[in-house]
Amino acid sequence: MEILNQISEYLQQGDDDKVFALTKEAIEQDLNPKVILDNSLIAGMNIIGEKFKKHEIFLPDVLMSAKAMYAGLDQLKPLLASKGISGLGKVVIGTVQGDLHDIGKNLVGIMLKGAGFDVIDLGKDVPPEKFVETAKRENAKLIGMSALLTTTMTNMKKVVDLVRKDNSDIKVIIGGAPVSKEFADEIGADAYAYDAGNAVECVKELI
Amino acid sequence: MSHIIRFKIKDIQPEKEVVFKEFGIPKIDLVSEKIQQLYSEAIKVFRETSKPIVIYSEISKEKFQNIFKGEGNNSAETPVDKIFPKADNLILFALTMGKEVSEKIEILFKENDFALGSMLDNIASLSADNAVKKMEELAAKDTKNHEENYLILAYSPGYCGWDISGQKKLFEYLHPEKIGITLNDSFLMIPLKSVSGVLISRKSEIHKFENNFSFCSLCKTKSCLERM
Ligand code: B1M
Repeated sequence: MEILNQISEYLQQGDDDKVFALTKEAIEQDLNPKVILDNSLIAGMNIIGEKFKKHEIFLPDVLMSAKAMYAGLDQLKPLLASKGISGLGKVVIGTVQGDLHDIGKNLVGIMLKGAGFDVIDLGKDVPPEKFVETAKRENAKLIGMSALLTTTMTNMKKVVDLVRKDNSDIKVIIGGAPVSKEFADEIGADAYAYDAGNAVECVKELI
Repeated sequence: MSHIIRFKIKDIQPEKEVVFKEFGIPKIDLVSEKIQQLYSEAIKVFRETSKPIVIYSEISKEKFQNIFKGEGNNSAETPVDKIFPKADNLILFALTMGKEVSEKIEILFKENDFALGSMLDNIASLSADNAVKKMEELAAKDTKNHEENYLILAYSPGYCGWDISGQKKLFEYLHPEKIGITLNDSFLMIPLKSVSGVLISRKSEIHKFENNFSFCSLCKTKSCLERM
């Protein structure tokens, strides 16, 4: 459908005004909101993700497209909710307690949302209990944590332990400059991601 | 006695190349006009919203020893406690870009303006780092020791085994609240774009260390030694 392709095109160009207007038009044309979401917004973000992976575009291009995606998504959300349609699954993310470094975590959040996940971002300096309580309350399938200080990496284990203690099937993924695959294995996390794109791949595999 | 100085924005604003590098962009001319405009807009907002300021004070080794001990949460051995006893001079500092720029970044993210928010975030973070370098330069001017290989480096609570809770005692001594920085319950500084620490001056050899401390085995980053 022409209008869906146009939305996807403008999203890739990072033109949020156009994406806003065309999404409005598509809704007025009574197109299925799930189809608009999947075939224009997520489809456009997937192309952007691929181009970024191949180094054809840069991070600011991705971020401008993400803004354009939201210009459409914000209009679709209430319609999707009223039809009981949810995204790819809920994930809870945050920077661990005692740590303020959130640039990487923010990128991970933006990429996950762009891929179609419902992201609950708890921000920075998040206590272990809050990760787990929120995930349970919101029926989230995954917790994603970021840490940049060697002294706060250890707080990731506290979250993993809380999840395992409950025998819950919530998955845990970790990232941040000092963190590694070995550390993830050591603390019993389900996955380690080296960057935001890789985080999306890992989350898709896990849930 | 503590001193307070305001930085000139032009003295700490990062080079365009450096900002783009943070975004993984190797060369300025590779980016679109749109990204160039984004950068200009972010620089404009940065100039309007940041109020960089520092409070600093010389401190004796005895007094610093007590601050460094902090709340007793440091790793058993750390680079800093090996380095500072050999110093000629120690200066405690806390600096901030001010609350307005941090608030602006949060607002931009809330408004889904991720590109401008991230650009501003990077510029403010890099400026905070540059302000630390500026402090190192200022301290270098003050020192009588202009020998070759003389090096003044900043070390911070939260850095390699010096637990972040160390900020509590640092604050009790320096009172950065005078320049608008406070500590939260997790010992993090508010506003976010703030850096605290100690400037340690002496010949460059004293700053050298092997990264084989207990916490190094956990940490993938091996860049701690690169700033020398
Ligand atoms: C959920 O799944 C996932 C998956 C992937 C995930 C993930 C989660 N999270 C991240 N990823 C991955 O995806 C991202 C890329 O796509 C990547 O994310 P990253 O977060 O790694 O990368 C970001 C995109 C870019 N990288 C960054 O944003 C971090 C860069 C460095 C320079 C850095 C910055 C920018 C800042 N800092 Co801070 N800072 C440093 C950093 C040194 C360095 N070179 O790493 C580091 C981390 N800082 C440090 C310290 C100590 C501090 N900082 C502080 C302050 C700051 C700034 C304000 C200047 C700024 C904050 C920016 C912010 N809002 O987050 C201080 C605290 C401030 C406060 N308010 O209390 C303070 C505590 C020092 C002090 N006492 O003042 C050091 C930690 C030392 C250590 N070894 O533990 C440090 C290594 C610098 C150093 N060399 O000393 C991947 O790791």
